[in-house]
Amino acid sequence: MKSPSQQFLSVAAIALSAACCGCQGGDAYPTAPIVLICPWSAGGGTDQTSRQVATLLERQLGVPVNVVNSTGGAGVTGHTRGALARPDGYTITMVTVEINMLHWRGLTTISYRDFDPVGMLNRDATAVFVRQDAPWNTLGELEKHIRDNPGQVKASGTARGGSWHLGFAGWLDREGIDPASAIWVSINGAAPSLQELIAVGVDIACCSLPEAQALLDARRIRCLGVMADQRVEQYPGVPTFKEQGVDWTFTAWRGICLPKGCPAEVRGRLAAALENVARSSEFRGYMGSAGFDVTWQPPGQFADTMARVDEQLGKLLTSEAMQSIEESRFGPMFFPNVLAVLGGAVFLGLLVTGQLKRPEQTESLSLRDLGRLAETAACVMAYVIFAETAGFLLTAGLLLVFLLLRLGNRWHVSVAASAVVVALAYQLFAVGLRVPLPRGWLGW
Amino acid sequence: MSGCLLQAFSGVFGDPRVLLIIVAAAVYGIFMGAVPGLTATMAVALLVPLTFFLDPISALAAVVTVEACAIFAGDIPNALLRIPGTPASAAYADDAYAFTRAGRSTEVLGVCLAFSVAGGVLGTVILALFAPQLASITTWFTVAEYFWLYLLGLSCAVIVSRGSTWKAAFALIIGLLLSTVGLSAVHAQARFTFGQAELFQGINFIPAMIGLFGVSEVFRSILTFDSAVTTPGSQATAPLSPPRSWSQWLAGSVRSVFGASLPLLWIRKWHAIRSGMIGSLIGMLPGAGADIAAWVSLAVSKRFSKKPEEYGTGSMEGVSDASCANNAALAGAWVPALVFGIPGDSVTAIVMGVLLMKNIKPGPEIFEKQAVLVYSIFLIFFLANLFLIAAGFLAIKAGGYVVRIPRKILLPLILLFCVIGSYAINGSYFDIGVMLAMGGLGFALERRQIPLGPVVLGIILGGPLEERFIQALSSSGSAWEAFFSRPMAAALGVVSMLVWLAPFVISLRQVRRLLESASGRLSRIRRGSS
Repeated sequence: MKSPSQQFLSVAAIALSAACCGCQGGDAYPTAPIVLICPWSAGGGTDQTSRQVATLLERQLGVPVNVVNSTGGAGVTGHTRGALARPDGYTITMVTVEINMLHWRGLTTISYRDFDPVGMLNRDATAVFVRQDAPWNTLGELEKHIRDNPGQVKASGTARGGSWHLGFAGWLDREGIDPASAIWVSINGAAPSLQELIAVGVDIACCSLPEAQALLDARRIRCLGVMADQRVEQYPGVPTFKEQGVDWTFTAWRGICLPKGCPAEVRGRLAAALENVARSSEFRGYMGSAGFDVTWQPPGQFADTMARVDEQLGKLLTSEAMQSIEESRFGPMFFPNVLAVLGGAVFLGLLVTGQLKRPEQTESLSLRDLGRLAETAACVMAYVIFAETAGFLLTAGLLLVFLLLRLGNRWHVSVAASAVVVALAYQLFAVGLRVPLPRGWLGW
Repeated sequence: MSGCLLQAFSGVFGDPRVLLIIVAAAVYGIFMGAVPGLTATMAVALLVPLTFFLDPISALAAVVTVEACAIFAGDIPNALLRIPGTPASAAYADDAYAFTRAGRSTEVLGVCLAFSVAGGVLGTVILALFAPQLASITTWFTVAEYFWLYLLGLSCAVIVSRGSTWKAAFALIIGLLLSTVGLSAVHAQARFTFGQAELFQGINFIPAMIGLFGVSEVFRSILTFDSAVTTPGSQATAPLSPPRSWSQWLAGSVRSVFGASLPLLWIRKWHAIRSGMIGSLIGMLPGAGADIAAWVSLAVSKRFSKKPEEYGTGSMEGVSDASCANNAALAGAWVPALVFGIPGDSVTAIVMGVLLMKNIKPGPEIFEKQAVLVYSIFLIFFLANLFLIAAGFLAIKAGGYVVRIPRKILLPLILLFCVIGSYAINGSYFDIGVMLAMGGLGFALERRQIPLGPVVLGIILGGPLEERFIQALSSSGSAWEAFFSRPMAAALGVVSMLVWLAPFVISLRQVRRLLESASGRLSRIRRGSS
């Protein structure tokens, strides 16, 4: 007859080994799940492309490919994370055209040079949209109106300095018009910009054709031209800028990159798999029906494209015309300052009326209380520090045992509960829901 | 039309696969919504690869069911542990948790479930009847109108808070200031980042919400742990003797979940309809979703309530109205997505991707050209809400076991799930740090009785509010022109101003009364001395 503590330990051991089925061995890349970083939020065009690529890549490579939306900072967050990841082939990034813009604007030091290209997947040209009842029928008429009425026309499509804005400003600049003669209303994203266009908040919207397809089909808006080399296959009725006598093209692109310094065989294996994906009928079918174009470029060609676009955008972004419109009447500190003044006033009001005093029913914190709080916080910090090296299972398990013991549980209860919960949590989140929990020493 | 409806019926009900998918999606949606940090958006995004292999009806059935169940399931940890499972539940976290502390967790969750289903059905009816007509409302909203709408949402958070309005306003401003950390959306310039790359992304509201509500509660419980002998709710939910048969258990459970909620739904049917309409209207506007809908309907509910003093300390009226509105908002978001191809929220953005993939193009013609599909969507919404009753019932019963786990074991586990939940949304360790810091902030604020709800809403709406504020100002000559020149904007502006001025007028009246009594006393003293 086993003692209760031995029974608990054996239960824990069984749970641990049962949950361990996700382990993999072997040497040839890839042997573990791959994380695909998408620098833009769920639901957008880049996210849709990423998820499609992930599903198809998974079939090519035979390991799970998990999309992680690492968003924020106009793309800085995701691109930085992708570039700084361990170059072992298990973190890949869906790099977008913004990589050629962010460093010119001084937002990050990361550029296309920090990545090893694997392959370009698609490129979408900027198109210019106006409302159905707008007085302009051609690009020339619109251009003349902006030239004659500086400061009257409002345009949008993305945040100030975003890709579609550069396409628009570059067009005006090319035609010798000061890009600041049209007011760029900085709205994040194509969908809200189009909404603003039909609500008569702005006069022009710039974005890719697929993003505006529904409104175009509904005859709420018209497209005056697309900044592509030739007409887009899915939209034969939309003329290019070149056809209308404007020598200007601007395309946003998306492609898969590895962090710099990956082994050559990893790059080769991934590029071959990605090419199969890009050439598959499933990928083409999906991209076609969603309105996205498919342009496959192998690593070498992709690297050239990135370098060329980087140079083109660098010229545009560092030109005087663009510098002048980067500044706005209401600077970035305007809103925080307004808030600080309001907050200060409310704080003073609270102080004067004595509402900030500790209410009578709450007791003051003793030294022992502070110790307990610090201990709990330290456990979370310890997880943040050690999880990446030691792995989720080990770190979370040990810290959980510690916390359980500190709350007065007996040690075998603590160990058993931790083992079961941590193992189940790993299976659920990392295997089931594909959250990239760190694998660490146990390699699980 | 009736032909299409029949076709839709046979498409949805004739195929057992669709029903199977709805059942599976309901379970999955409940789970995703109930774990803090896993949002409805994430649940739907994870489904996308699966939808490649499904026909359009099945794919939509999966998405709709997951969404409806996840938004309800957010109420479960919200009520049991005071950790909102999704941001849409944050509005009534304190109210719902108050019932759990009083041992009435099953009852309050039953109310959440009944009103969620009612809200979902109402939202669907509104979607089915008025979608094309209502879609035109979307075309009235420019940045100026959005600015006022967001301000109205924020004002509602201040109104519904219990206690001092000033404290709530202070909490709101803390939240708004926190939202300015990182790269500003309008200028794309870094603020308060101190050169740290991680701070560029700003303070993500999911880990912030988990920290403010969840971790701060863990902190508080650890300190009061020794004195608290029993787990809240355990006395009332634990059966004294094991039930004699399965059917008896079922009857007892059904009574405990629906016994109080269904009569309440009947009593508050007009309130439910009001909340449902508020929810659908707000959900319809791109950029405003279930979370704002919950706040606004809660504020309206408090304004017209006979017992406004209960709000924030355990108001069944507040919980029921807000949980009705956030589920009604879901169907609303489909209106602009279907009619204009402009997604109302991130879930419908993903849905549009799925639709396009299946070669279905959203647009006004969708109601003529794809009538069968549109009717199927309506039917699926109804079905999803029906299945929600069953799935939600089981989830509430399962949740009952959570509160029965001894607190000394439960607390570390909650902390573990807070950590995983914060990490899951972006896979970032920095977010765990944010969660911890916000836990400390929440703990400190609560000790001063400053409400946490407005902080969360400030973080969520701070970015969009600033964007619209700067956009409206910089695209027009004067502040007046920016915010009042359009009739719709002016109307919304006046409403939000009234909302702000009303408590101010009340406090002015209090000041005057104070002055009067003071001067009265003064004159009495004078009379006494003379």
